[in-house]
This record gives sequence, C-alpha cells and structure tokens, in this order.
Amino acid sequence: MQLNWRAISEDDPGPKWAGLFREYWPDYHRWWAREGAEARPGFLDSHKALRAHMPEMLPLYDQLVELAGGSDQAARFLSFYCPPPYLSSCSQAIWPGAEPVLVRNYDYSPKAFDSLTLRTKWQGRAVMGTSDGLWGLVDGINDAGLAVSLTFGGRRVVGDGFGVPLILRYVLQTCETAAEAGRALARIPTHMSYNVTVVDAKRQFLTALMAPDRKAVITHQAVATNHQERVEWASHARFTATVERERYLLQRMTLHVEPEEKFINAFLRPPLYSSRFDQGFGTLYTAVYRPQRLQMEMRWPRARWPLDLHDFREDTRVIYTPEGVSSAAE
Amino acid sequence: MSAELKNISEIRRHFHRNEDPIYFISATNFNLLGLDEWCKNFKYICYIDCYGGKHPNTFVPSEQPHAEFQSIEDINNYLLQHKEVIDLIKRRGGKPKFVFLMFDEETERLSKELGADVWFPKAKLRQKMDNKIETVRIGNKAGVPSVPNTLSVVESYDNLKEICDKAGLGHDLVLQSAFGDSGHTTFFIKSEADFRRHEHDIVGEGEIKIMKRIDCRGSAIEGCATKEGTIVGPLMTELVGFKELTPYRGGWCGNEILSTAFPPKVRQKARELTFKFGEQLRKEGYRGYFELDFLIDKKTGDIWLGELNPRITGCSSMTNHAAFAHADAPLFLFHLLEFSKKKFSLDVDELNSRWADPKMIDSWSQMVIKHTDDTVDIATEVPETGIYRMKEDGSIDFNRFDYHRRAVESENEAFFLRILQPGDYRYEGADIGILVTRGRSMTNGFKLNERGKRWIHGIKNGVHGRPLPTAEAGPALADPAFKIM
Repeated sequence: MQLNWRAISEDDPGPKWAGLFREYWPDYHRWWAREGAEARPGFLDSHKALRAHMPEMLPLYDQLVELAGGSDQAARFLSFYCPPPYLSSCSQAIWPGAEPVLVRNYDYSPKAFDSLTLRTKWQGRAVMGTSDGLWGLVDGINDAGLAVSLTFGGRRVVGDGFGVPLILRYVLQTCETAAEAGRALARIPTHMSYNVTVVDAKRQFLTALMAPDRKAVITHQAVATNHQERVEWASHARFTATVERERYLLQRMTLHVEPEEKFINAFLRPPLYSSRFDQGFGTLYTAVYRPQRLQMEMRWPRARWPLDLHDFREDTRVIYTPEGVSSAAE
Repeated sequence: MSAELKNISEIRRHFHRNEDPIYFISATNFNLLGLDEWCKNFKYICYIDCYGGKHPNTFVPSEQPHAEFQSIEDINNYLLQHKEVIDLIKRRGGKPKFVFLMFDEETERLSKELGADVWFPKAKLRQKMDNKIETVRIGNKAGVPSVPNTLSVVESYDNLKEICDKAGLGHDLVLQSAFGDSGHTTFFIKSEADFRRHEHDIVGEGEIKIMKRIDCRGSAIEGCATKEGTIVGPLMTELVGFKELTPYRGGWCGNEILSTAFPPKVRQKARELTFKFGEQLRKEGYRGYFELDFLIDKKTGDIWLGELNPRITGCSSMTNHAAFAHADAPLFLFHLLEFSKKKFSLDVDELNSRWADPKMIDSWSQMVIKHTDDTVDIATEVPETGIYRMKEDGSIDFNRFDYHRRAVESENEAFFLRILQPGDYRYEGADIGILVTRGRSMTNGFKLNERGKRWIHGIKNGVHGRPLPTAEAGPALADPAFKIM
C-alpha cells in the first residue's frame, strides 16, 4: 500500500493545523463515533477531565477546538478523553551505547495511520514527533532533549482515562527530564494499557507500565514490547510475538557491544520488523531519537529520513508497504 | 512394607519394585535421563519430544494453544493442565508423585488438584534459598566462604564505584541480581560501558550481590541432603562462555566429569564444604537434591562458594551417569528415597568416602550447543537424537538411534540429544541440543580441545534453516502531489 508521508511544521496553532484537521476529521469522526457519539463522554466531562489532569494544556486545547470549528463532537474528540479502544503492537529500546538513543518500531495498520511527522512550538516549547489524532503523538522529542515513545501494553481492559497519544503530547509539552516525565505518567489516567519509555539528554530513562485499572508501575526497563510484567492476553501476545521480541531485544543489548547503526538495523528485520500489514500489525516505520542532538530519523528497509528539531524541513515521502506478505510464523 | 531399608542393595531393590507412579515433568527429560531404568513406574512428561516418539517412558502431549511461556514453570503449569497429561496420570492410577526442574506455587496448586505429591521442598522455601543473597548467608553460617562481596542497592555507575571503594572490592566486578542462572543475571562490569549494557537489570532491582572479580575456574558439585546426612557427588568442571557453544559471556555451556579435574586437595575441600552446606540446608528446613558452584582460584587454589541451585540442574545428568552412580545408585535415587517416607538407614560417611575414590569416576563431557550467530531463521533440518560417530577426517555421521547415553562406546562416538525441532525459530541463544561424549572436551588449560570443536562443528553443520521473508518498504521518492486517505 502507498503511504504518503508528510513532515509539517507550524510554530503556533494556525492555518496549517486547521487544514490538517479538516483533512483528517471525517475519518477520525467516523472512528470516534462508531459506537454512537453517545458512547463517548460529553463535552463537560471531557473538559473537566482535562482541567483536572492536564490543566497546563487547557489554553492550547481551547485554541485548537476553535481552529477545528468549535463543534461539540470535535471538542470531545480532541479531549482524547475515553476514546474508542484501539490496539497496536510496537517495540522500543534504548541503545546502551555512550550517547542516549531511543529506537522504536511502530506496528499498526497502514489504513488507520496519519503518516504525519509534526513539528510545533506550541506554548513556546518545540516538539516534533509522529502525529496521531492531530495533536497527540505516538513518539516524539522536545527541545529539552526529552524523547518518549509508546507501545501497546497487551491488555484488554478499557477504563476512564485519556488516549495515550495525548499523554505523550502532555509529557513533551510540560516535562524536561525522565524523572519529571515519570511523575506525570504515574499520575495521568490512561484509558488502555500502554508501556511508555522516556529517555532524556542525560541518559536517564524509565518505562512506565500504564493501565486504567491499576497504578502505573515505573520501571527501569530499557526495552518494551506488548506486555507488561506478565503476558495477560495470550492470543494478542502470540500474534504479535511480544515475548520473543522482548527477549530478542534484551539479548541484543546485553550480549553485544553493538554499534548504533547495527542496533538500529535490527529493527528493520525480523523478528522485530513485522510484515503483517494486512492484519493490522505491520511495521509502518522505525523511528530513531537522539536526545542530545535534538534529532529524529525515520527509517524503512529502503529509505531514511532525518529530521532536526531546530532545522526542520517540511517535506514528503512516498512509502510503499508490502501487502499480503504472509508472516514467517505461518 | 514398612521394613527398614538397610543398605544400598535393599534401596536399589526397593526402587526396582516401586509401585508409586513417579513423574518428572519438564520441557525435556534431559536432567533426569536414565532414571526410569533405576526406578520402576518412573515416567517423563515433556513439552519437547527430543526422541521423535521413540522413548518408551517419555510422554509428550499434542500441542494445544497456550499462553506464551516466560519460564520453565509456565511450561510445567501448561503440561499439568493438559487433558492428555491428566488422562495419562488418572489412567495409570495410584497416588502420583511429581518431580520438576522448576516449579512455583501455581504448580503446587495444580499438583494438589491432581491429587499428587510434589517431591521437593515447598516452592516458597526453594525460592528463598535460590536468592543469591540468601546463599551467602547460608554459606557464612555453614562456614563456606563466598567470594569477597557486598550486598547493596545500586543506583548508578558512580554509586557502584563508591560502594566498591567502601568495601575494598576494586572496580573489576561481577554483579549478580538476586535470582537467575546460566549467566543471564551475572554481569561482568569493569567500565561504564559495561554498566550501561546491564543497567536495566541492576538499577531498581533491589539488593545486588557485588563481587570482586577473581581469576578462577568454575566447578559444579551436587549433593543430596537426607535425614542420614548429606550425600556428596563428584566435583565437575564447568564449560563457561565458549563462543562456539553460547553467545552468553560467562554463560554455562556444559560440564566435564573426570577424576583428576582438580588437584586432590581441592576436590577434598569441595566435598567437605558441600557436606557442610548440605547440613546447614537441613537446618534451614531444606532437604533433597541441590547443586553448588564453586569458584576455584587459578593461582592459590582457594575455593569460594559461587551459587546455590536448590534443585536438579543441567549437570545432574553427569552426576547420575558417573561410574559410581552405576556402582551404587544415582544420587537422585536418594532424593526419591528421602521423599518416599520409606524408613532407611545408610552409612553416609562410608558412601561419601567411596564416592571420593578416583576409581569411582569415569571421564565424560557434555556440551550444550546453542545457536551462536546473530541471525534468525526457521530450522528445517536438525540432527536427530542418537549416537553419532566421528570419522578419520573429523566429519561426523549419524550411526544409530539410542536414548542411552552410556551406549556411547568410545571417544569416537557421542550421544546427541536434539532440542531444536524442525520448524522452530533458530535465533541467537536458541538451544540446538546437548552432546555427550566420553573423555574430555577441554584441554588442561580449560580451553575447548580440537575434538570438542570438531564435534560442535559437525553437529552445527547438520542444522539447516530457511530465511524469514523480509518486507520491502520504500523507496524514498519525493512526490508533492498527493491526496491523503
């Protein structure tokens, strides 16, 4: 399938963002209202939740809702409060070399993906990363050198909380160190289970195992795939080979003193690289974050795309994901 | 029935006429290979069929969907809930007895559901003993010294250096977290870069055992704590970290048993310490089979306690096949005896001194062969279990099927137990199989010898795989004219 990637930069919420909203909204709206709009919390509760847990974001939120046209459903969608459940896969790890580097694979359906790298300087803080839901992020970095990335936590429980892409946005808008990020991640309610790995410019790192039904666990894990302390959803675990991927990554980290390039390349081949595109779990990209240099890089088996937070060039790429490539496990 | 067993002959007879169904439940039956020939009604229930259905006492149920295994305990708990396993146990009747390599409280619960006794001390007690930090404490009480060490929580590399300076350990270190085996949780740390590689296993993991790194040889010895005293097996060498066998630096990859592996004084000392340790284990409430790793200083011959495994281990098969085991009884038989509640009297001192006699030990080696390349594929061919023969030119051939390792006739033959099955993923660190040979596989300097290398090469040559399909994403074309979604 053809994916048209874009890198877009806009300092403050403005016409570019409004244009993106108009473009993506019909699809997001369909998704968001698929169980009926009444299945989602109302505007008042959504606004209240944001005020309670992410008050710093309210002025920005109000601005974006305005740009989005101010409708009730757009506002409720943009609050990311109790969205419909969604699943992904993903692997992420911190390179154990001298300089902090966070590498991650995003495994998801190419049909439900924004293919958008967004750079903003909202509220004076420069942030770039892979956009989801227009202001959420599935991975990203800010101008303090804090990098963050998520993987699905492999549990079916859904509860009251925020969609995790907004939680990542919040962390990058308000935190500068891994320790600060850890405190935020431990505090903010999430609506599903996610493993969020953060690393800062001083190479402090942590992985928060977040869940709607229990306290977040802040670990010193340098690797996260799609389960938390134990595998709880066996069929998802098997399908995504989460245990094997974790073991493989841990092995790489501890067995080899591996050059950065070799470590990154491991993400572009099996078992980390997943070719199950038609089943919703293909590796859509590999992202590399370098907190000390404030750089990120997108990689595919046959392409790479470096991006710099302070020298961000808007650009596009066409990436073809293979279709109907069956998995090795079959 | 309750008549006391008074000597080895009566003990052997007792097990040859045993009526209790006893099961060893584990991923493979390797650890207790051959025990079924000493004990009637002894069966293996395994997850992997190393014998292609040809082992008469091994039962492998058909594969059912199961949760991802994260440990051997998980495999055992899966097996105990498998209908075919339950049917087998019920059909054979009697009051079943289970032995395991690893088990947890869930295993105990499932065993109880099946009306079976677990013939090991409680999982909780074993778990406690398996903790490296607890091992040091028990050793100290027993008068068995550990390598100079300190126990501490570690926050960073600088913090680690401070701790070591205070304890006078220097900065060339071996760190161990509380649990773990086979080098997975043993970290060699000399620099900040070494620390970074293992940081995620050290920071936030509670108390860590921090040892001064000494120049030593690894050794292993097994014992069995019985009410009559601790029976001590022979001191074995360890094969450690050979790159032909394992990708794990410092990881266990086999053993040798030979009467002269260490100087007589060291052997004697190790036996004494093992006896003392076993007696202390009994005081702590533990009984039965256990294994100790001793670190033997290359220069001084000083002997230090490395690690306790309160269970059978990867070297149990060596202990239980040595000549003394055939002359008297395998060490594990005394474990079964201890748990059978059968009355027995035994002159443990006499037995121990007999087993200390070099004449009682013949020379064997075992190598655990892992995939050591940094590649992933799917195995299509793997040498099958049986006896292999080495030809003049160093190449090897499959000679015949057998599941008895003692069927190995000469140093030109070897017994290979296949673990990797065709269709399995072959990845770095995956077990291919275990090779047992007569004679040594190491030189006097504890390097792999030529013959050992040839055997490994020969087996690995017989493993073939097909590559995983790789996807192509790209190319990178700039194309400004498009419409999204």
